[in-house]
Amino acid sequence: MTDEPFLETQESRGPSEEAPSIEDRIGRLVREQPYAILCTQGEGQPYGSLVAIATTDDLASMVFATPRATRKYRLLMECDHVAVVIDSRSRKCHDMMEIEACTVTGRVTELVDADELSRFSELLLARHSQLKEFLASPSTALFRVDVVRYFHVSRFQEVRQWAPPSGSSR
Amino acid sequence: MGATEWIISLNSAVDCPPSVIGGKASNLSLLAGDGFRTAPGFCVAIGAYERFLEANGLTPVIQMELGRKPLDQMRWEEIWDAALRIRNRFLNSPLEKEFEREIFSSVAELGTDIPLAVRSSAPGEDSAERSFAGLHESYLNVVGPEAVCEAVRLVWASLWSDAALLYRKELDLDPLKSRMAVLVQVMQEEDCSGVAFGCDPRTGDGDRAIIEAVPGACADLVDGNTDPDRWVFAREARQLIESRLGERVDGDGNSELLGRGDLEAILEWLDRIEARMGWAPDMEWTGRRARLTLLQARPVTIAQANRENEEDERVWYLSLRPNPDQLRKLCDRVAGELIPELEQAGEELAAEDLDHLDDRELADCLETRRDLVARWKKIYWDEFIPMAHGVRYLGLYYNDVVRPDDPYEFVELLRGEDMLATRRNRMIREMARLVQERPQLRELLVRTVDSASKQSEMDPALDSALSAVEGGQTFLASLVELRSLYLDIAFDGVRLADRPNALLRTVLELSLSHETREDKGSRAEERSAEELEKRLLVRAGAEREEEVREVLRLGRLSWRLRDDDNLLVARLESQLLRALELASERLKGSGRLDMEAEVVPDFCGEICGGLRDSSGGTVTLPETGKKEGRAAPADSAETPRQLIGQPASAGIARGLVRVVRTASDLERFREGEVLVCDAIQPMMTHLVPLAKAVVERRGGMLIHGAIIARELGIPCVNGVSGLTDVLRDGQVVTVDGHLGIVTVGEAEFDMELRP
Repeated sequence: MTDEPFLETQESRGPSEEAPSIEDRIGRLVREQPYAILCTQGEGQPYGSLVAIATTDDLASMVFATPRATRKYRLLMECDHVAVVIDSRSRKCHDMMEIEACTVTGRVTELVDADELSRFSELLLARHSQLKEFLASPSTALFRVDVVRYFHVSRFQEVRQWAPPSGSSR
Repeated sequence: MGATEWIISLNSAVDCPPSVIGGKASNLSLLAGDGFRTAPGFCVAIGAYERFLEANGLTPVIQMELGRKPLDQMRWEEIWDAALRIRNRFLNSPLEKEFEREIFSSVAELGTDIPLAVRSSAPGEDSAERSFAGLHESYLNVVGPEAVCEAVRLVWASLWSDAALLYRKELDLDPLKSRMAVLVQVMQEEDCSGVAFGCDPRTGDGDRAIIEAVPGACADLVDGNTDPDRWVFAREARQLIESRLGERVDGDGNSELLGRGDLEAILEWLDRIEARMGWAPDMEWTGRRARLTLLQARPVTIAQANRENEEDERVWYLSLRPNPDQLRKLCDRVAGELIPELEQAGEELAAEDLDHLDDRELADCLETRRDLVARWKKIYWDEFIPMAHGVRYLGLYYNDVVRPDDPYEFVELLRGEDMLATRRNRMIREMARLVQERPQLRELLVRTVDSASKQSEMDPALDSALSAVEGGQTFLASLVELRSLYLDIAFDGVRLADRPNALLRTVLELSLSHETREDKGSRAEERSAEELEKRLLVRAGAEREEEVREVLRLGRLSWRLRDDDNLLVARLESQLLRALELASERLKGSGRLDMEAEVVPDFCGEICGGLRDSSGGTVTLPETGKKEGRAAPADSAETPRQLIGQPASAGIARGLVRVVRTASDLERFREGEVLVCDAIQPMMTHLVPLAKAVVERRGGMLIHGAIIARELGIPCVNGVSGLTDVLRDGQVVTVDGHLGIVTVGEAEFDMELRP
């Protein structure tokens, strides 16, 4: 704690010694937060939508649903590059330095395969049971986001990237 | 909130809990209500503090300062910096007019021309488990409402001092939940004052009462400036067990300050307070008999009492607060005795002819040098490091007087100090200039450096080759002088004097770029330092000129000596290495030590044993476990994108990382790279002008790297946790010295690629 001498090299302490790993922090945040902002684009115009999400255990995939008759759906059909923003404002709004956020980048795929539809519907319903009828509607589309990377932001400006392991649950 | 809730008269505060007026004021008003004589006064309630924070948006400022990284990863220097910035915001934030009017009116009731004491009164400040005594500020002899307003602000700010933050960290208290009330009372002018304990604070013995007394005010006793008279009683039997007279130079130490009747009165108060409050009191008092006045009462801190054999951490935290008298004594001792002694020791060792010593004599010499290094390392910790408070004291003093927007404006006052490292750096720059002006000389040096093996001695042919080129003689003379005067130092277990090629490379790199930053604008900056000094003198007023000059002297002296001491101790280490290298050569030469064995100072014992062993037995050394450099960070799915630290020098720059850990890394450093290291040390400051930017693990606005970078106008971010583990040579980084952010990688990248 005191001034350090220049006489000897001292081992620097990395954050990993005390802090949980980035994977754990991302996992905790995405499991804790039920909603996220889905960012889409089309015709040079970015667009944001609040969606209910769920994430696979290995954090490689996310799932959300949307009615087909929406701008969001149309934009996803036009361009499958998306970003998803998840944050802890609802839990820690009194202190900006304690807010965590993740910007997730990846690509979306509309699920049509029956097995996949079933598997990812269950995943989403496990967190959002109120969406049962919504998901059952033929006008609702289910999307999987294949995550390329997570940008985890803490302490206002500390940003670390993490890529889920390849060979994922998708 | 109404103004009436901001100010509460002590007379009407009997029922106010500590959560409203803090522990000190709450105890005092309760006891005043029970008939104890107390000084008249009022409390500035916690609500006023909260309102001040809210009105000036200070809570987010505190959150950002303390949230930059986990408090347990912040070094003291970083906490000091955060505390300084918070303090400056407090000083520069206005009080609400309504509140000011209330203070003016309350002070008027006490008297606008009489001295007042303005003390902290935080809830939970004092208890049987912990005591913040001395960690929060108190101001004595404050006269007039304006001065009281200032003192209130300073007392509030002291909630966020480095010492108070560290103590909260130690106790695992959340600093962000801290609050502060303030107690304003009429100063009592009595002939004696003191403290009294209702149990023995060293042993916790409840049948002991201890009374200490000094002439005049109690502050001198609490600050440790005056040696008190002391009495120990068996409390129940009222029997005097021991007493001693304080050693004081004021001539009144010949007779006891308190008579038996005075002591009895204090003992009776201890009993009454314990009966009323339910705890053995630690009380401050002033006056005697009928004029005995209670200044404050709190529980004797049991944690302190029970830790007889442990050092009370609070004592250490208290030592962080510069005491000008102690600082002056320390600086004078360091400048007048220790540094000259250290310099002389280095010179004597360097002058010693080791080659003529026989093996036994060499063993003796080695041990002497090892012990000398150990002795000076201890002095370094015990006396040199505390001297750094001189600069910090100057900073606080300057900010209090001048109230600058930038709390580090005072650093300009340190510019231009004649330090060993600046003399060395100047010499290196002059050599670089010579090389730049003489192409032949430059070509020769390039050839020499390129052909040299990694760690070799300087090419013996270089001397004669230099003589043959224009400017070569001058260059050679400088090189010889530089090696003997400034490079006889150890860095990472290597003598830099043994690495002439590293120096030549640096000179060559500097010669490429030496329309040097040092030359740029230095006169203008010196003028700016003069202007700051003038501003300080004017604001402080003529009556404080002597005080200002002394604070400046101590600040500058401590800044200079804190740089020099590192180099001078490193010189002793270098001389230890010289003897060790010779000893190891002898043992290796006679086949008694493995030729590949790595010899480090820790093995002095084994080496000396070998030298003294007349049987010629072989010497076996333990493994050092030391490697050249460290492994590059392992590839991981996690990569840093933005690292945050402290914005230590403004500016923004992009470049390739060069991590400097070892003496070899010094040699590898190239112009335009980003210098990444644990901490810029005085032995590597000559590299800074070559750097595009500086990033350090060690944090602090007053550490060498930060100050040198600011002087040279190079962006610097420091206090970045674990950076030498996550950054690799050759990585592109953008260093934002305005915000304290290091961005890793290109600004634009393919989002589809895995990091």
